[in-house]
Amino acid sequence: MSAHIANGRFVVWLTLFIGMMFQIMPLPHIVAAWRPDWLLMVMIYWAVALPHRYSILTAWVLGVMLDVLLGATLGVRGLAFALTIYIVVLHFQRIRNFPRWQQTILVSVFVCIYHLVIYWTEFAIVGGTPFNTDMFLPAFSSIIIWWWIFWFLRNIRRRYKVR
Amino acid sequence: MKPIFVRGISHQFRLTLAIILSVVLFVSNDRLEPVRQSLSSLLSPLQYLANVPGFMLDWTAEAFATRNMLAAQNKILIDQQLLMSERLQRFEHLRQENERLRTLLGSPVHMDSRKVVAEVMEVASDPFRQLVVLNQGERTGVYVGQPVVDAKGVVGQVVDVSELTSRVLLVSDTTHGIPVRITRNDVRAIANGTGEIDEIELRHVAKSTDIIAGDLLVTSGLGDRFPEGYPVARVMSVSRDDGQSYAVINAQPLAALDRIRYVLLIWPDDVDNNPIIPIVPGADANLPLENTTSPAETSTIDAPVNASNAENSLPQEVSQ
Repeated sequence: MSAHIANGRFVVWLTLFIGMMFQIMPLPHIVAAWRPDWLLMVMIYWAVALPHRYSILTAWVLGVMLDVLLGATLGVRGLAFALTIYIVVLHFQRIRNFPRWQQTILVSVFVCIYHLVIYWTEFAIVGGTPFNTDMFLPAFSSIIIWWWIFWFLRNIRRRYKVR
Repeated sequence: MKPIFVRGISHQFRLTLAIILSVVLFVSNDRLEPVRQSLSSLLSPLQYLANVPGFMLDWTAEAFATRNMLAAQNKILIDQQLLMSERLQRFEHLRQENERLRTLLGSPVHMDSRKVVAEVMEVASDPFRQLVVLNQGERTGVYVGQPVVDAKGVVGQVVDVSELTSRVLLVSDTTHGIPVRITRNDVRAIANGTGEIDEIELRHVAKSTDIIAGDLLVTSGLGDRFPEGYPVARVMSVSRDDGQSYAVINAQPLAALDRIRYVLLIWPDDVDNNPIIPIVPGADANLPLENTTSPAETSTIDAPVNASNAENSLPQEVSQ
């Protein structure tokens, strides 16, 4: 039993780190603004599937790690992750039972919230960051990616019996 | 057995905790440099891993380059090298002459500083800032505040160092300022980034100041961060609007900041470790070409210097 849990935990963290790797992967200049938020989506999936295990504080830790990787002010993405996942966790029962297209719309809304929180905190702390509607482009690319991520991670969860 | 209603710490409490922790991080951000450094050393394998696809792409491009492409490239490089070596010959002559004149005046001589080539790693950075990651870190001796240049001009300065990587703040970032002077008439100013990658501006310059479009801005060496004389930007437009209190001056950085690949990390002479040294032509050979700031190396530099000072007392007295 304990071996199973340890195994599951390893798999979840592995997917999270792979998500983090995709998040900082180089992209051609033209599509760089469309970079989907891989890490956020992987985190949303695990928060919906296992909210009693991976929720707000896990998200905060991941956000801080992402801040370190991106060279941003520490805690900006930590705060954004924690706030977004808080909303997800509050409604996890509903999100689970929504049809997929509805889920997708919700996820893109979450991505928008996440980017707005980042923008606001950066604006408050560093200042002088220009408002650019480009920051909502990931919401569109996330729509496409979410279908695959959901399918992929559900298979992983069933295969490795992550609980 | 998965419980349906989990009792434990409430979500609200967790959220509050996360917010408090974030605020603590915001406030103590400047003092957390060691923490950030060790964390980013820990996470740098992830950056190297993320860089692999780009690296592979480059590698395949090189591996499948046709013979014609290579030949053309080779020809360009040979031409360039010929031009450069001709220029270097003249430069070498001028350098010696300059040193001799400076020795006569008893004024400090510019020394060759240690340089290391670094490659820009193509990993994503904070979209609201202008940052790039280099593949050299603390192991090479990179330090926070170190100047970074490329073949055309100043790129920026190091703001963040981990074991194997470092992060460079570009001159075009809104938080970056660099002291410059105009080569034409030695007017001093400070060039601030605007957040646009191909634009920097000179703020608080009086309207009567003699600046025209096309002026070359080089580092002035004031501020003790960037060594003197590296080109920074070229003035693109100067507008003296009556409604504004100062002239509005825009310049374009000379380094191609949006497509930099290889950069040079510079270790300018540390004034405290290496006291200002007048070099006599004879002592030139004793000086190591690469001047490092490590204590072992400085002692080897100091030794010939003291000897040369003794020999060289005559011209100095003359100048006094």
